[in-house]
Amino acid sequence: MRGQVWLVIVGMAIVTYLTRAPLLLVLARRPLPPRLRLWLRMIPLAVLPALALPLVLVARHPDGTPVALGLGHPPLWGAIVVVGLASLRVNFLVTVAAAVATVAVLRALG
Amino acid sequence: MERAADRPSPARSAPSRVCDGIVASLALVPSVFVYGTVFGGLAVGAGLRSIEVLGMSLLVFAGASQFVAVPMIAAGTSPLAIVLTTYVVNMRHYLMAATLAPAFSTFPRAWLALVAHGINDESFAVAVARQNPPDPWFFIGSVVVVGGSFVGGVVVGTALGGLVADPARWGLDFAFPAVFLALVGAQLRSRADKLVALASGTLAVIVALVLPGNWHIVIAGVIVSAVAALVLDAERA
Repeated sequence: MRGQVWLVIVGMAIVTYLTRAPLLLVLARRPLPPRLRLWLRMIPLAVLPALALPLVLVARHPDGTPVALGLGHPPLWGAIVVVGLASLRVNFLVTVAAAVATVAVLRALG
Repeated sequence: MERAADRPSPARSAPSRVCDGIVASLALVPSVFVYGTVFGGLAVGAGLRSIEVLGMSLLVFAGASQFVAVPMIAAGTSPLAIVLTTYVVNMRHYLMAATLAPAFSTFPRAWLALVAHGINDESFAVAVARQNPPDPWFFIGSVVVVGGSFVGGVVVGTALGGLVADPARWGLDFAFPAVFLALVGAQLRSRADKLVALASGTLAVIVALVLPGNWHIVIAGVIVSAVAALVLDAERA
């Protein structure tokens, strides 16, 4: 397990460097094709919700079967708080802190 | 053909342009530092050692992808899935590197190999907002400030993180999805952006229910962004 953490870190470092160095070194003064630029801009927009929503909406029992989640699920309300505040352009850290506090309070009450 | 070195403005020396970049980036220090602190604290809380958290921050130096990787590591996700997800999350660097490249066309390649590692969202935004193509020395000054603030914050965070015995009780496990959702929220500019985010999140939930592991991130992220890039007007980019 411990050795694997470093394996993961080195792997992450290599692929991340591969996203930074090649175009800086090679692409001196040729612009990227517009459609490729558009794809690169869309990737974070697609990846971040793909990360976040399953974390909020999908939980599994220890045997792997999905848990049915209801309105009493605190992260659901935390997510609503984040999306609401972020769309109002509230400061990033304030938004995250408010969402975390919402989940903590709902858990304490539940 | 206009090259960075040919533009009239840089009559000023390289050190003073580095200083400009440092000064212009000082406003970012508090938020980047706290971002690093939150990451360090959460990563230690998720079971990583301080040295691993610091090593990741120095070697990977890409906050969003590090936030993504930590819960996956804690959950025992396969290294391949974590590394692939990191790659996809960080593919946005291609866009920044391509935009920065003309400014660095006169630099030695060994320098470029080093500067490349410093590419980050904040320095890119500050340097491009100042002038486009950006001033390379200004960008380097900004990288020094942003990198120092982030790593400094991580060091403080790892020291503080061990103090929280039960992160879930304080809702801190929810900080990861909260960070992801807040990062998305800040990027949604148009109706098409919202549609992309919603479609990808929905597809990811469906895939996650069917397929164990964390492959839904790469699958939904790549498919939905590619479809959007093919369908939408390319001049928007």
